[in-house]
Amino acid sequence: MKVIELDSVHVLYGSSLALDIEHLEIGAGERVFVLGHSGSGKTTLARLIKGRLRPSSGTVRVLGRDPASARDRRRRQRRVAMIDQEYFLVPRLTAVENVLQGALGRVPPWMSFFGIYPRTEWIEAESVLAEVELDGLGHRRVETLSGGQKQRTAIARALMQQADIILADEPVSALDPELAEDALELLVACVARREVTLLVDLHQPELARRYATRFLGLAQGRLVYDGSPEGFTDEIAELVYRGRPADEAAGSDLASPRLTLDAQETKHVDAETGLATANPRSDIRLVGD
Amino acid sequence: MAISSFVLWALRWSEFDLAVLLSSGDRFAEFFSRLVPPDWSVSKLVFRSTIETLMIAIAGTAVAVVFSLPLGFLAASNVSPPWISHPVKWLLGFIRSIPLIVVAMLFVAAVGLGPFPGMLAIAFHSVGMLGKFYAEEFETAEKGILDAVSGTGATWSQTLRYGLWPQSIPQVVAFTVYRLEMNFRDAAVLGLVGAGGVGYYILLYVRGFQYEKVAVLLVVIIGVVLMLDNLTFWVRRWVR
Repeated sequence: MKVIELDSVHVLYGSSLALDIEHLEIGAGERVFVLGHSGSGKTTLARLIKGRLRPSSGTVRVLGRDPASARDRRRRQRRVAMIDQEYFLVPRLTAVENVLQGALGRVPPWMSFFGIYPRTEWIEAESVLAEVELDGLGHRRVETLSGGQKQRTAIARALMQQADIILADEPVSALDPELAEDALELLVACVARREVTLLVDLHQPELARRYATRFLGLAQGRLVYDGSPEGFTDEIAELVYRGRPADEAAGSDLASPRLTLDAQETKHVDAETGLATANPRSDIRLVGD
Repeated sequence: MAISSFVLWALRWSEFDLAVLLSSGDRFAEFFSRLVPPDWSVSKLVFRSTIETLMIAIAGTAVAVVFSLPLGFLAASNVSPPWISHPVKWLLGFIRSIPLIVVAMLFVAAVGLGPFPGMLAIAFHSVGMLGKFYAEEFETAEKGILDAVSGTGATWSQTLRYGLWPQSIPQVVAFTVYRLEMNFRDAAVLGLVGAGGVGYYILLYVRGFQYEKVAVLLVVIIGVVLMLDNLTFWVRRWVR
């Protein structure tokens, strides 16, 4: 079953093209890791799916609906959780209060006006906190927690939402490598228990490889790789991370929706790294190939 | 250059005269010498009316907060659409621009003499400033947090309650107690137009050259201001 579907999507920031995706489908239960350097369009893609952003043209369907439409907003927002790079927890509130916010989409507004949550939500929040190994820290203000603990609180808030899709935008970039690994492992484990679709933006392919069922490679806002983690070879990584076209004209070529891997570009990669570039293996699908 | 000549012009306008100021020392000294010994016989009366002024300030501030919070939300451009926030900001500016003494005279005319019009005037006048301060504080709220809270499926009011409000509490409280302190000083002069409190006695004793009684007034008022100053300090420390 498709849960996310993008068709002929263009996102323009001013006159610069931030995202240009001809077609993308993500099925229920997939664990998709989106790779690419900063500015490649990873965050834009996540924001589109969350409905914080409308495409300049094209259609986005999440769980069968336009995520940015105002109709039925509350229910749709609830079904897609987002973990931001900076977590965006309320520093003055305790960990458990932040986690409880995940339940706001189902708590009657009059009740939350007085700061009341139903008992069942408190029990749920405590159990989610235990799941992310923060039991006993729920009463602590978030501003007093360490980076890793904040990250776990953010994961807990997303889990509390009981969403069908969890988006994570560079969720571990603020943590040192060991903590990052732990946090990612925890996130994936929690997601696996819930059969939720996961879409993670990440810098590190070697870390993503362990948890992903599918890789997307973004460069210059275009999808340059869509396939299995195994197929994401060093050559493709080069393309995703360093494959900035030497001439900016290629990047702003709005007329062509797909990235065409022309010889000049490949040569550019060669020149920069000194590595011989092999042709992409046949078992992987290179968009535009 | 332009600014300093403008300031010079303003000094001229206000009839600034250094010679007059320097030769006024004798009269200051005379004024202060007549403050002692204070006439403590009026202390009970002065104390009672100062408490009345304090109560006017407290009640007025409380009423102002009730109106300022929703107006502050509406005036904050990050949570309210421009067609609401702009007119509300304009309204707050309008309220602010009416001098307190004029507001007080209006309320005295409307509801009669006594502390009640004073309280109304303080409340009305404070809304203009508190609403503006609250709105500016709300506008500094971290947008990412608002998006995160709203992204859970929270309604607009829930987002305000759980995303905006917890971020703003310390500053909102600080502004409010600061305004309370200002309101006490403002309320102290409201008696001049018959709107209750200690102001009436200031008028009475100063105009009647009863400086021994003015001394008691000064002691009591300064005492209350210092007390409020301390309160402000502790409340700010407490709410963090």
